[in-house]
Amino acid sequence: MTRSDISGWRDLPPVPTAAFRAADLVVGDVDESLLVFRTSGTSRGTARRGQHFVRSPDLYRASADAGFRVYVSGGETTAKIVTLSPSFVYDPDSSLGWMLDHVRSTFGAKDGVSVTTPSGIDWYLLEELVAEARLSGRPLCLLGTTLSFSAWLERMVDARSSPTNLPAGSRVVDTGGLKGQSDRRREDVVSELAFRLGMSPSAIINEFGMTELLSQRYGVGIPVGPLRGPPWLRTRVLDPVTLAELPAGETGILCHYDLANLGSVCAVLTEDRGRTTGSGIEWRGRTEGAPPRGCSLATAELLEAQHRA
Amino acid sequence: MLEPWHLPGLATPTKWNHGTTAAGHPFRTPVLDRANAAAVATAVDAAAGESRESRTTEDVIRAVDTAVARLSGAGAAGDAARDLLRVELGWDEELSRRTLDGFARTSRAEHLRSLVRSEVGDSALLERFVADPGWTGPGSRSRRAIGPRLMLQVLAGNVPGVSLSATIRALLARSGVLCKLPRSEPCLLPLFARLVTEEDQLLGRTIAATWWPGGESSATWVEWSGRAGKVVVYGGERAVENVRRSVPAHVEVVTYGPRLGVAVVLPDAEEDEAAALARDVCAYDQQGCVSPRLVFVVGGSGRSFARRLAEALELETGRHPPPAPSEEEAVAIREVRATYEFGGYEEGVTGLQTPGDSLRWTVLVSAAPDIGVENLPRLVVVSEVAGLTALEAALGPLSGRIQSIGYAGRAGIVALSESAARLGVSRVAPFGCMAWPPPDWRHEGKHQLLPLLNWTDLETFE
Repeated sequence: MTRSDISGWRDLPPVPTAAFRAADLVVGDVDESLLVFRTSGTSRGTARRGQHFVRSPDLYRASADAGFRVYVSGGETTAKIVTLSPSFVYDPDSSLGWMLDHVRSTFGAKDGVSVTTPSGIDWYLLEELVAEARLSGRPLCLLGTTLSFSAWLERMVDARSSPTNLPAGSRVVDTGGLKGQSDRRREDVVSELAFRLGMSPSAIINEFGMTELLSQRYGVGIPVGPLRGPPWLRTRVLDPVTLAELPAGETGILCHYDLANLGSVCAVLTEDRGRTTGSGIEWRGRTEGAPPRGCSLATAELLEAQHRA
Repeated sequence: MLEPWHLPGLATPTKWNHGTTAAGHPFRTPVLDRANAAAVATAVDAAAGESRESRTTEDVIRAVDTAVARLSGAGAAGDAARDLLRVELGWDEELSRRTLDGFARTSRAEHLRSLVRSEVGDSALLERFVADPGWTGPGSRSRRAIGPRLMLQVLAGNVPGVSLSATIRALLARSGVLCKLPRSEPCLLPLFARLVTEEDQLLGRTIAATWWPGGESSATWVEWSGRAGKVVVYGGERAVENVRRSVPAHVEVVTYGPRLGVAVVLPDAEEDEAAALARDVCAYDQQGCVSPRLVFVVGGSGRSFARRLAEALELETGRHPPPAPSEEEAVAIREVRATYEFGGYEEGVTGLQTPGDSLRWTVLVSAAPDIGVENLPRLVVVSEVAGLTALEAALGPLSGRIQSIGYAGRAGIVALSESAARLGVSRVAPFGCMAWPPPDWRHEGKHQLLPLLNWTDLETFE
């Protein structure tokens, strides 16, 4: 493929996320990248973690800010931002940690707090911040992974703590889903959280981001509404076999085009399933690994054999 | 709606299990409660007892032979069998025909007689006590071999011939056989059982076959496994383990676990050998334990063999277009392609041959021996290896899990075979023959009929 084959953004050949695990995808010298984000774990037996080299943190900040301002903060300047997920300080590979640290110091009243420590979440601090907000009437904006909110909920249930009411204007922003680590669905977790914190569904926001993307999408409500993002992040829904674009509303594989990925890869083909819906997209989970075929040895068994050897 | 079941002794069913085949075609089978499952087992048991009295081994072979001939022939039964494979698996006419032909080539009367001869000796041993001419003790000895009255088979996988061959062996062992069919391809065995019934009603009643959802806690399983004298399982390691755990300790479990095929290009291989390997890759759509997934080029260029294999696969898939991969397979193929393509760009040790974006075949290339490739349709990895010693070392982790090794060339064939024996490989055969082993091949290195039989010796003073 040459430049003359490309007449529009849809013609850009997408790069599967697996490529981020196989090679250093960066324009120019790897060492000149100011930030390197890594995916959280191994996937489907691939030993390496995916790496995303960021040559321009300023562009990342600008893109993250735009999305957060439009879909989360909405110009609110008094809220105190509390983050429940490991700070970039503790996990320098985490693009989420980096972004949360950034928005905490940029938005709201700029006196945000991280309740994470190297050994986990400081629940007492979090509960203190909630109590303080109730007294002062200042709204909280709680940001964290869906798993961290799920853990908080379990703690509240175990402690039989009674529901509380966060001040008006408070928000919860969760991200990442439950990653199969819980029997519950995300909707159940955030519904119960909203009930316990006295929040309306419209104050519950879901963030959709990936290590491989420097722009994010956000969806509001329970169940979550269309995931929307800045205009420089576009998503096509493709037929998994032919990679042809599917008509609106049909479920396929998500392929993102993110102009904030300057210096790495703009067109990213994911393993996520989803469909277009209204003005955004709906995420419908990851594709499971291919099931074993016939009586031929399955990959997991083969890898296990390698592991034992 | 397909109804893939053959259940002697079952009254008209009223409740149904619902499933879908590998290609997503819906089917239904009767729900069996304990009483129904027991009635079927009793009917099969009674038929097996009666058949032992009134049918010789040769009678069984002839009935099976006719059913096999009809299943793979040009008549209505053959048409029905090919149609079922097309519908169930999404195969084309040609692949369905070739698979049934390949099955018939190893399952006709002469093959079954040869199987009995090679493993049991005299077929009369399966019918009565026969004097043992090799006996050197006092008096005389006669022997007899027979399978259990009831045998339970858990069938798996998308290689249709395997279910049929397993059932034919149970019939040769003179057992009544209760079969759990694979969800992906449940139809062929019930059709075969009906053909056997048309030929010999009594023999047809010695086969019960159906599918049910769930595993070893279901009523059918509990009832059938409680009555079976032996259990034969084809499946993944977890399935095999689950079956072992749910069967009483005294009941023998004969297992056929998942394995893979390996292809070796010896230094003196001819260039056109790639075409024969492409046929092996495309047979069974790469789903068999005999299907080659790992190709090793000994002392030569992996990249140039990969190019030739790619050309051969393009021709082969042009002649026999493969069914579309599933969504999960498609994503996994693209992922592994990206890993090899981009990994190679950085380190120069991996590469890729594909028909553009199409997923109809994939040849991955690795400069170092590579055994970690996914089990995906028409996807092989070609690695370079310096010599046969290095090859054996590379395959070491797969010891006991390699079904067969295909080869091209002759240089080093003895050393390769010795390596194969040490690695627990059950068959070494030229490219082009990997997918169609002979009937008396020792699948997984085991006899085919003997594990189903129990031997009884009668010693006398006369």
